[in-house]
Amino acid sequence: MAARLSILDLGKVLFRPNAVFEALAVEAPPVTQVLFRFALWLGLLPPVFACIGTLNFGWRLGVEPVFLPRETVIAISGAYFVALLFGFLSSAVIARWMAVTYDASQSLGRCFALMAIVGAPLAVGSVIHLYPHVFINVLVLVPALIWSMYLLYRGLPIVLRTGPNRGMLMASALIAYLLVAAVSLLGVTVALWGSGLGPRIGT
Amino acid sequence: MSTVFYQDRVVTAFTACAVFWAVLGMMAGVYVAAELVWPTIDFGQPALSFGRLRTLHTTLVLFGFGVSALIATAFYSVQRTSHVPLFAPRLAWFLLCAWQLAIVLGAASIMAGWNGGKEYAELEWPFDLAITVAWVAFAVVFFGTIARRKMESIYISNWFYGALIIVVAMLHIVNSLAMPATLGKSYSLFAGAQDAVVQWWYGHNAVGFLLTGGFLGMLYYFLPKHAEQPIWSYRLSIVAFWAFVYTYIWAGPHHLHYHSIPEWVQSLGMVMSLILLAPSWATMVNGIMTVSAASQKLRTDPALKFIVLSLAFYGLATFEGPMLAIKSVNVFSHFTEWTIGHVHSGALGWNALITFGTFYFLVPRLAGAPLYSARLANIHFWLALAGVMLYVLAMWGAGVSQGVLWLSLDELGEVRFSFNDVMAAMKPYYLLRFVAGLVFLAGAVLMAFNLARTFAGRRTIDVAPPGTHVAAGAST
Repeated sequence: MAARLSILDLGKVLFRPNAVFEALAVEAPPVTQVLFRFALWLGLLPPVFACIGTLNFGWRLGVEPVFLPRETVIAISGAYFVALLFGFLSSAVIARWMAVTYDASQSLGRCFALMAIVGAPLAVGSVIHLYPHVFINVLVLVPALIWSMYLLYRGLPIVLRTGPNRGMLMASALIAYLLVAAVSLLGVTVALWGSGLGPRIGT
Repeated sequence: MSTVFYQDRVVTAFTACAVFWAVLGMMAGVYVAAELVWPTIDFGQPALSFGRLRTLHTTLVLFGFGVSALIATAFYSVQRTSHVPLFAPRLAWFLLCAWQLAIVLGAASIMAGWNGGKEYAELEWPFDLAITVAWVAFAVVFFGTIARRKMESIYISNWFYGALIIVVAMLHIVNSLAMPATLGKSYSLFAGAQDAVVQWWYGHNAVGFLLTGGFLGMLYYFLPKHAEQPIWSYRLSIVAFWAFVYTYIWAGPHHLHYHSIPEWVQSLGMVMSLILLAPSWATMVNGIMTVSAASQKLRTDPALKFIVLSLAFYGLATFEGPMLAIKSVNVFSHFTEWTIGHVHSGALGWNALITFGTFYFLVPRLAGAPLYSARLANIHFWLALAGVMLYVLAMWGAGVSQGVLWLSLDELGEVRFSFNDVMAAMKPYYLLRFVAGLVFLAGAVLMAFNLARTFAGRRTIDVAPPGTHVAAGAST
């Protein structure tokens, strides 16, 4: 397979990732191609699933469902997409920045491709957003997250052409960034909710 | 002969105690996690009730596991960075006996219902006195060794261990000031809001100088030693130390946001917590850059993996803490499971992982033999990672749900969901947390077995200090 990622190759990415990694190691894909043919489509899945699920079933947090007005749901889903896009772009740029330290490939296209592949199991797992019961979502997304982390540790040394040891270090450093980004998203979200921008919170 | 060799047997003894308390303390944690899912498993026994076992859990992991590990590593490293054996070795053995006895009897007193009512300082006044005596012994041995050092400079790890000893002494004495009523009950000298401020000045700085500062001492000695690289920037480590010491001591009031203490005290605590991010992350960068120069060892060395991962969780916990200290975030997160998740991303992800990594490095050197099984240590690594990730994710899910539900108001402005309804909704998360705890505990048990097998049939080997002519390196 040539190093051209397309959303049509999603099956290969998930089930034969090594072949994709090897291809990316040989030839760096153009950034725009990764972004427009693969990453953006993946990034659209969670907000779309979440939008449909919330409109039909409401947020299920363990008590009676919380239904939100249609406009609010669409606005939240849009914000979700923007947050995912920011997370993806920043992770790829940070991976490239870290590549200098870990003697890895500094090709932005490879970094984009790697982070998109790492996010793929989570994007596919987000189909569970169609039924937005928080705990069921946690149950499905935790294995998806483990799969994503496996792809990161497995793929990084191959795609970015660094040794397995340095690859592991760089993957761990990226995990640190992703953890911080995740908790920042939580923090920003609740701060906005607290400021009255959220649904039915506060007085 | 005892003056010729390093005093490492007492290090071995403290290490063994730390591993024992780790397993027992985590078992208590898993049990209380199970009680939150199946409340009847206290079998109606007061000694097994959540209130007592939760206190037992925190006491055993903090003071049994954490402090024993800190004393072991402080004694090991201060000798090697000073090129002299421990000062007053008999006092070090006295400290071992006194500390372990205090933990055993303290644990029994907690299960019997003695409780001073202050979080992380629940032990009653007789134990407070015993702890003070033991801590003075720790200080005499540690600073006595430094005073007799043959090196001109005092290596950075000793600054952190030294700050741990001095600040924890100060915190413990002030926060424990109380009027005894009976042998098992005393009343704090402070009252009302003042008591709360003193308690969280203690509580947060116990986190700061014990769980952060003390373990940074461990990091600064064992990481460069292990990676066979000097610290990436020694200057940065010194700057970060003083910034850390100055800033941390102010941050306690963030535990009391929206409580009956002055507003400006809360804001001061919040601002100082935010500033604290800078020295915390300076240390993380220093650690990551140090280890990045030693990547060739990672594949063969499971211990280094633990340390690398612990740095990632150190980065998370020291970012999440200041963020939760922001009042507009805290209004949502306070009293939710998010706080419990934050504590455990620090306690499991940072403190436990760096200690595990250090023990996998330390015990083979104390025994003079290779680790019994690198494969078991690798399995432990993945169990620890899975356990802590599952724990943190479960608590994030639970905490955000609680926050949303508790702040939900109905059309009349009344609270929409009752406390009971919200707690009932938490059951699946509590089940997930129980599983996460079991996974993490399984890893700790594997480590105990692995380390015990490494040491089986052996004695601590004798190591002599190098001659005074040996040049002092920053990574010594």
